[in-house]
Amino acid sequence: MNIIIQNLKKKFGEKTAVNIDSFEVHSGEILGLVGNNGAGKSTLFRLILDLIKADEGTVRMMDREKDVNVAETEEWKDWTGAYVDDSFLIDYLTPDEYFQFIAEICGIGPDDLQLFMDKFKHFMSDEILGQKKYIRNLSAGNKQKVGIIAAMLLQPQVLILDEPFNFLDPTSQSAIKHLLKKYNEETHATILISSHNLQHTVDICPRIALLEHGVIIKDIDNSDGQAQGELEEYFQVTD
Amino acid sequence: MSKYQLYKLLIKNERLRERRHPMFGKNRFVKFIFILTLLYYAAVLVFIGVTLAISLKGSYNGVAAYHVLDGWLPAILMLDFWLRFILQETPANQAKPYTLMPIRRSFLMRMYLNCSALSIGNMFWGFMLIPFGLIAIAIPLGWIKFAGWLLGWWILCIANGFCYLFVRTLLVKHLAWITIPIIIHGAIIAAMFVPDNNWLDMPCTLLMDELANWKMVCFLAIIAVVALLYYSNYLLLSTMVYNEIGNKENVEVKKTAKMTFLNRYGRIGEYMKLEVRTKTRNKNVKIQFATGLSMMLVFCLMMFFTDAYSSGLGKSYVCLYNYIILGVITLGSIMCHEGNYIDGLMSRRESIYDLLRAKYYFNSLLLVIPPILFIPLMIKGELSVWMNLGYLFFTIGVLYPFLFQMAVYNKDTLPLNKKITGKQNSVMQKMVTLAIFLVPVGIERLSIKLLGEQWGYLTMICLGAIGFATHKIWLRNIYKRFMVRRYVNMEGYRATRNS
Repeated sequence: MNIIIQNLKKKFGEKTAVNIDSFEVHSGEILGLVGNNGAGKSTLFRLILDLIKADEGTVRMMDREKDVNVAETEEWKDWTGAYVDDSFLIDYLTPDEYFQFIAEICGIGPDDLQLFMDKFKHFMSDEILGQKKYIRNLSAGNKQKVGIIAAMLLQPQVLILDEPFNFLDPTSQSAIKHLLKKYNEETHATILISSHNLQHTVDICPRIALLEHGVIIKDIDNSDGQAQGELEEYFQVTD
Repeated sequence: MSKYQLYKLLIKNERLRERRHPMFGKNRFVKFIFILTLLYYAAVLVFIGVTLAISLKGSYNGVAAYHVLDGWLPAILMLDFWLRFILQETPANQAKPYTLMPIRRSFLMRMYLNCSALSIGNMFWGFMLIPFGLIAIAIPLGWIKFAGWLLGWWILCIANGFCYLFVRTLLVKHLAWITIPIIIHGAIIAAMFVPDNNWLDMPCTLLMDELANWKMVCFLAIIAVVALLYYSNYLLLSTMVYNEIGNKENVEVKKTAKMTFLNRYGRIGEYMKLEVRTKTRNKNVKIQFATGLSMMLVFCLMMFFTDAYSSGLGKSYVCLYNYIILGVITLGSIMCHEGNYIDGLMSRRESIYDLLRAKYYFNSLLLVIPPILFIPLMIKGELSVWMNLGYLFFTIGVLYPFLFQMAVYNKDTLPLNKKITGKQNSVMQKMVTLAIFLVPVGIERLSIKLLGEQWGYLTMICLGAIGFATHKIWLRNIYKRFMVRRYVNMEGYRATRNS
């Protein structure tokens, strides 16, 4: 599924949060979005997910059969999974109940749900399922895991994750990288992730967009894994 | 920094916090309406005070006018107590931002308790008491007596405020503490209304009389009560401040109901499970629900044991009230709790429509409660089966569609578990609530007058049945309008999520 952004603008008061003339994320691509705090990464994701209104412009999702403007129809929600922050979680459910809830509203049967959960066993590391805890009582890292798994439950063709490595321990960070790569290879889903962790972004994203004050200032080809230097130079992480 | 400077700084921060509340600061019209509402209630109290004083003309059945009002002292204080749940917050909650700062916790607690004692809210009843006292006491009996009487009332209101704080803080620990005021107030109501003579009338009038006569022993006694309550609150807050701030709950879930019987209803069943879990797992929602049920029970008991609602209009009100109160409480703020996870809901196709349908079925099923509570009253002959059926259908098919409209306009997130601090109902919510409590009784009275009792209620049943039969259509319409306003609503929900 291609994501096509055209003339997309969003302002909060006088501050421009997003200002993108034209940008396309190709079907099956893993795009990493990087930028400093306030660069507009989360706002861009919220615009793509139609959670805030664009002042101008459009976001379209299209493939050979479909072409939808996300602000005009809900059809895209059938093939899109996302986790931006904990406002996506119904925190008075246990993780088991939450997954069952998402599965039911996405039309996934109990057997398929079980099969899906098995794939995430290592990622959940016995701290999520069957814990008899409400999501609100989980640690920040485990909440993050619940959100990511729920976003992938639908087996989406478009997966959007805002800072998925946040709060996760190193083992889980590594696990989610592998899971995302594998998921992309198996399903050819279009994946958008934002992160402040340059190493992880470089590791899994063949293409990286650098955002500054809402504008994509660099569209870096990382297919050879050589974007690290360019990013470090921008973020001045080296002496 | 001196203690006085610190005190001033903290007070200033409190004012800023109130003024800069996202929803309060956003809309000038809401501010205007809020002030207007306060003025309205103040004017109502002045009106009650003046008319009461004039209508009693100095005395009533040989009892001095102010003694009549003093006889109602427990009722007024009870009302004052429950109103504080809407408007007042606990000092522990206010202290949160300062817990890690080099400010003594005891200083903070004392400061907030002092503020609570001197709060202008404790003087609000003055709008009724001052005009009443001026006419009924100051003019005929002298200003000194008036001053003593008024001072006595004020100190009692302060004591009442501390009682509220005590209960409110205990509620952080466990909801079951709500039974204390319910039992005490239930006993007071029983003492006032069950016997032929109000048992509390004499002690209350005697106390207020002695206060009006500046009997120092009485003043010292009520001041001692205030001091005792102050100290009790101080001790309780000091030990429980971290509970409120940490908002820790027992993290181990003992038992989770699977509700598998709802699985057959697919997505709607899943959203109905969500409704049940919202109501049973979140402190604020549970309080809302328990409050509604308690109110229903109180009305039934009052109707059963007293003549307070023996008139036709009175019966209609009790009937309407019991059928709609849970709806008003939960649907008046429909979607406000969902504001906490609105982004998740909005990222699923048509989830809001399914949620609305589940809410409608769930709330309709809840209407099994009023007829059960009304069984003794129906046996006693106070309420007819026709009246019950009329209001049952009317609520499901006419009043609920009306209340569900709020889903389009509400945009203020209500916390599920954290304290509800300073959250005001919107103007729209207030107007809808007002209409809900006024219009149906008018329709019922008119229908009965024009068509007779049976046909009148049959009309209400038919109107309700039409509303129920068409629920998918009007719910779809609400959903579509919600989607048109979604950006505005989502922005509102986000802005107020953690405020």
